[in-house]
Amino acid sequence: MSGKVKIMERKGKDLYERLYLVEIFKGMAVTFGHFISNFLDNSKLYVRHYPEQKPEITARWRGRHRLTTHEDGTMKCVACFMCQTNCPAKCIMIEAGERVDGRTEKMPVRFDIDLLECIYCGYCVEACPMDAIRMDTGIFAVTGSDRQSFVMGLDALLATPGAFSEEEYKKGGA
Amino acid sequence: MAEKVKLFVNGQEVEVEAGKNLIDAFGAVGIEIPHLCYHPALGADGNCRMCLVGIEDGRPPLVPACKTKVAEGMKVQLDAEKIKKIQRDIMELELINHPIDCPICDQAGECKLQDYYMRYDGKPSRMTVKPVLKAKKMDFGCDVVHDQERCVLCARCVRFTRLVTKTGELGIVNRTDYARVNIFPGRPLNNRYALNVVDLCPVGAMTSRDFRFKQRAWFLTKSPSICQGCSKGCNIFIDHNREKYKDDVIYRFRPRLNEKVNGYFMCDEGRMTYKQENDNRLIAPQVNGREAGFAEAIEAVRRAISGATKTAVLVSPNASLEQIFSIRQFAASINAALSGYSDGYIKAGDGDDFLIQDDKSANRAAFTLLNIDDSKAGFDAAINGADLLINFQNDLGRSLAEDQLASVLANAKLIAISSAATGCTAKSAVAVPVASYSEDSGSLINCDGRLQRYEIAVAKNQPLKSLIEVTNLIGGEIANNQEARAGLQAAVAVLKDIDLEQIPAEGIALTESEVAHVAA
Ligand code: SF4
Ligand code: SF4
Ligand code: SF4
Ligand code: SF4
Ligand code: FES
Repeated sequence: MSGKVKIMERKGKDLYERLYLVEIFKGMAVTFGHFISNFLDNSKLYVRHYPEQKPEITARWRGRHRLTTHEDGTMKCVACFMCQTNCPAKCIMIEAGERVDGRTEKMPVRFDIDLLECIYCGYCVEACPMDAIRMDTGIFAVTGSDRQSFVMGLDALLATPGAFSEEEYKKGGA
Repeated sequence: MAEKVKLFVNGQEVEVEAGKNLIDAFGAVGIEIPHLCYHPALGADGNCRMCLVGIEDGRPPLVPACKTKVAEGMKVQLDAEKIKKIQRDIMELELINHPIDCPICDQAGECKLQDYYMRYDGKPSRMTVKPVLKAKKMDFGCDVVHDQERCVLCARCVRFTRLVTKTGELGIVNRTDYARVNIFPGRPLNNRYALNVVDLCPVGAMTSRDFRFKQRAWFLTKSPSICQGCSKGCNIFIDHNREKYKDDVIYRFRPRLNEKVNGYFMCDEGRMTYKQENDNRLIAPQVNGREAGFAEAIEAVRRAISGATKTAVLVSPNASLEQIFSIRQFAASINAALSGYSDGYIKAGDGDDFLIQDDKSANRAAFTLLNIDDSKAGFDAAINGADLLINFQNDLGRSLAEDQLASVLANAKLIAISSAATGCTAKSAVAVPVASYSEDSGSLINCDGRLQRYEIAVAKNQPLKSLIEVTNLIGGEIANNQEARAGLQAAVAVLKDIDLEQIPAEGIALTESEVAHVAA
């Protein structure tokens, strides 16, 4: 190995500074001081003990989506495609079909949201004329082992309940 | 040049075409007068009152624009406060019992009520009583779905069945809140143009069962084209869309105005031919019944041609002028007999005196122009003793019965160059897929001798080669439409003075006078 050798000029105004070592040991003393005191008693730490300790989430937080239902359990979504049209990430994919649960005429037969592409902007929630899509599940961390598991389907979206009461959610300005 | 008159709109001088009503004359120069019941093909009915405009010093001072002809010096008011108030009031009247189904209404995005509400109304509803409920999702027959709640009672659909198809299946029964469009009991829509009421209806009261819920109107790309359902060559819009992760798919055909051919309408059968563009397509090349690479298939065709002692070439009456010309050139270059035999494309007695023609092919008139024989005798002579039949797009199974086809193929090896997977492609030794007309461009001559042009509308994810390109690859001289057009111009006397690259939107009638006119 015959790389180019470059000799760095030592900086510092006197020998004490040019020596470096004294300053390094002073710095290490601070680090180890914190390490030992936190090691013996970690209750004074300034960080949250995630994941044991969950963060508090307000009703306005935009978490993972869900599709809402009427009291009788039928879905509110009428497959109007407003959310899909408004989505800047183009990550909602709906297919519409004839309604079969006795309400009006139209419902989605497929409703996929690709969470890997979603930017959690909430435009879909704002666009919906039926209050059928909300981001109030309180779920902020979605994990999965493959791409496909991040595509939420109709059933999964309908199955997740909201994390807040109706009053709290409405207070958020919805 | 049409005669012009000068008049004043909101105090400004405007020059418009004479003899028309205010809506059409102003519309042509880009001034919109809102209207619901008037349609140029159905005439003025004057029932909706949406088009009321003021005439300064006029007697009466308020007139329906649909029933008023333009006149020299007329002073028309469109933006006076009283006119705006009338428009708001009419909108409010229309919306009293309207369900505002927009989220589930197929018309949303191309609905006159929506458009006019945004442009001329924009006021919140003052209704405090419950709206009158009416029947929804009614089956009117011919795959027309009617929604009485959305109807604005403009009577366009009723007038269409009375004036155009003269079948009169629809009527408006009762008055006021009880007025509804309906069919007579047990007598649904029963004519071959019924789906035109879906286009005519200014709102979502008439929808098509076939298109129902498939797409929202604003997702669709609307590309102009020509219907190939019969030799009339109705002008259409191909409405297509490429959904995420999917291919470019056609969702519907709609008629496109061409006064010289189809006016505002098209037939229902032609409308449904969009399905042939989506389904049953030949996608993968085949050699001896198994899937093969494109290059391999072309090579197999070339080898078959050089090995044959007598070759016959069959061309489809649906092929474009350019395609037929390049195939003719190719057939001559390999000394093959050329036939356009396609009796099966003709359904005698099926046509009517409006749009539908007996001949279900789009371009048979080009055969006459290019001297291509389409008789059975000609085909028999061509195929007699031939050991190779190259079939360009012709669905021979339509013209020949199963056993006749078998006896033809007993002696001759079949090469099918086709966009559709037909009985013929299944029986062929080599099948080469090509682009269909929605993915290609070309010229057609309709039954009245009108030359029209269609352009590429759909772009597939895996585009197929055009028929001319494939013909070129297997030995034809012509490589593209431009070369074919230059060749056509040189070879065909009638086309000599026509610029085939610049065919006007209305097409060109191939008669002496109009050709001379275009050339001048
Ligand atoms: S949150 Fe934004 S990006 Fe995500 S689905 Fe809704 S509109 Fe699309
Ligand atoms: S979630 Fe709302 S906006 Fe989206 S399709 Fe359903 S009803 Fe329409
Ligand atoms: S007809 Fe027009 S206004 Fe009425 S529901 Fe349909 S889109 Fe909406
Ligand atoms: S169904 Fe449509 S075209 Fe017929 S009267 Fe009603 S609004 Fe007019
Ligand atoms: S368009 Fe003139 S009254 Fe309806």
